[in-house]
Amino acid sequence: MTLVKTSPAAAPARTAPKPRSRRGRAERRPRVLLAVTGLFFALLYLPIAVVALFSFNSRKSLTVFGGFSLRWYRAFAHDDVLLSSLGTSLRISLVAMAGSVVLGVALALGLVRCRTRLGSLAGLVMLVPLITPEIVTGVASMLLFKGLGVALSTTTVMLSEITFSISYVTVVLRSRVAALNPEVEEAAMDLGATRWQAVRLVTLPALLPAVLASAVLIFALVFDDFVLAYFTTGVDPQPLSVRIYSAIRFGVQPTINAVGTLMLAGSVCLIALALFIPRLFGRRGGLDILSGE
Amino acid sequence: MDATDAIPAVRLDGVSKQFADSYAVHDLDLDIEAGHFFSLLGPSGCGKTTSLRMIGGFTDPTEGSVLLAGEDVTGLPPNKRNVNTVFQSYALFDHLSIADNIAFGLKRKGVDRAETHKRVAEMLDLVQLGGLADRMPRTLSGGQRQRVALARALVNRPAVLLLDEPLAALDLKLRRQMQVELKQIQREVGITFVFVTHDQDEALTMSDRIAVLNAGRVEQCGTPEDIYEHPASRFVASFMGTSNLMTGTYRAGEVALDQGPALPVGRRSGITDGTAVSVSVRPEKIWLSDFEQDMPVLSGVIRETVYSGPTTTYLIEIAPGVTLSVLEQNTARARMEDRWSGGETVEFGWRPEHCLVLA
Repeated sequence: MTLVKTSPAAAPARTAPKPRSRRGRAERRPRVLLAVTGLFFALLYLPIAVVALFSFNSRKSLTVFGGFSLRWYRAFAHDDVLLSSLGTSLRISLVAMAGSVVLGVALALGLVRCRTRLGSLAGLVMLVPLITPEIVTGVASMLLFKGLGVALSTTTVMLSEITFSISYVTVVLRSRVAALNPEVEEAAMDLGATRWQAVRLVTLPALLPAVLASAVLIFALVFDDFVLAYFTTGVDPQPLSVRIYSAIRFGVQPTINAVGTLMLAGSVCLIALALFIPRLFGRRGGLDILSGE
Repeated sequence: MDATDAIPAVRLDGVSKQFADSYAVHDLDLDIEAGHFFSLLGPSGCGKTTSLRMIGGFTDPTEGSVLLAGEDVTGLPPNKRNVNTVFQSYALFDHLSIADNIAFGLKRKGVDRAETHKRVAEMLDLVQLGGLADRMPRTLSGGQRQRVALARALVNRPAVLLLDEPLAALDLKLRRQMQVELKQIQREVGITFVFVTHDQDEALTMSDRIAVLNAGRVEQCGTPEDIYEHPASRFVASFMGTSNLMTGTYRAGEVALDQGPALPVGRRSGITDGTAVSVSVRPEKIWLSDFEQDMPVLSGVIRETVYSGPTTTYLIEIAPGVTLSVLEQNTARARMEDRWSGGETVEFGWRPEHCLVLA
């Protein structure tokens, strides 16, 4: 861009063309990016969009859209088998969420504070479930329960899901725990709190945003999980994902589209919630302690 | 200082803290009188924070005992000790409002709500944060957070307040202001303050007594004036303010410098002839004119003149490689024509008592 050479008088003229060329490039750049981004989202969401669209189909066809109707949602609302599976899945997710959050937070606290060789070994072992193929975890869990003579049921699904989810919670929480100022817990003890009170009143509240975010994450992961549930569930109340899989083997019912769309809506809400949680804690006033705990 | 047999608020009795193979604190004996503003002063790593943490109960001594008001509290957890701490990082509870932060200790003690409200309000007034009760800690400035930390500790009316370099994170101007304020608050509440700092100015201006620590041991313990005017060791002389430190050999009321002239120092008891000693003269204790009758007067060459507003510092070479720093006040009485410039030979002297011989 050496149109004008080093005359000081011409300096303003030299700066003038620059913004134009920058603007020109700025106009060209997004076109490629937009195309790539558009393609990406199309590939990612078109199948889901089709499911959502056909859940509102008035016909039974899975290829021809006949018109808008809530027929399949009504069918789902009257399908006792699917409804009981939905209940089972919700129960499994809630229990797995609670269990893995409690254990995962405890593990994160322990891993950060326990600086022995055994502690760092535990930290590494903790990561193994994250890289183990889920099918291996599933088969292994099933074999374990069989070997112990435990009948597969909703409880065995819950236990497996908790085991599998602890790592996620710990990974999310670990860096947060490490970032805590150790003087804060000491300050609580200095002001009369016991060690446990210090953890409960100061450390856990400081970790709350991360704890809630990981809880939401675990709920969504477990609710959607198929592989582990498939290997560890019993026969009668089956988790929703397993039930849908069995149903599809005997021909796809449009009801499944309705169920899928509802699950999608639920997941979107949970993700939005997980993103929103930290903001909730950004600004907060009030007299929490004065108004009683 | 009326009663020497009064029970000290804090007593460290032969306290040591050993980490792996080194001592952070070594055989420390310290009495801190009730109601005093007491400073633990020393460079980083001298064991002052470790000592404070042992008083607070965050670290247990490996040897010796910690006594609070005559009672042995060694091994008791922090929540069982009648002391509170202002941490260097302030360590405020970010999820609680300012009022709740301050109320935290009272709540733990089961103080009723009306009383809690009253005492929190009093504290907020004391530290001049009246309107900020409902604000969250992260919305406050560093100075305000510091005050909250102070209020949160003081509201519990501890017998002793421990402060771990509480002003270190503040800028210079705010720090000066907080020094004055902290001292006022201490006088107002009458609580014993144990103040850890590495800043000798801070210790001098605020303390009733100072313990200078070095490498886990007490070098000297006394009033600010004691410590500054009569340093007991070479370390204290060089750590507290600036000193002209020279080494030499003592012989019959004189110290023959290793390099340079013999300085008349007067007879000293306890030092035998031929002992290698250090000599210390404060720059502001050296006279450049109007000498008194029995003053030893020497001469040297001015090598450097450093003007810094209220004072001027001269660097005077008294022998090859030996320079003294001399501080002159630029008061109204000082006459401009009396100023010396580089290269001039001047006479200088001091009162014999200001030339300290340190073994």
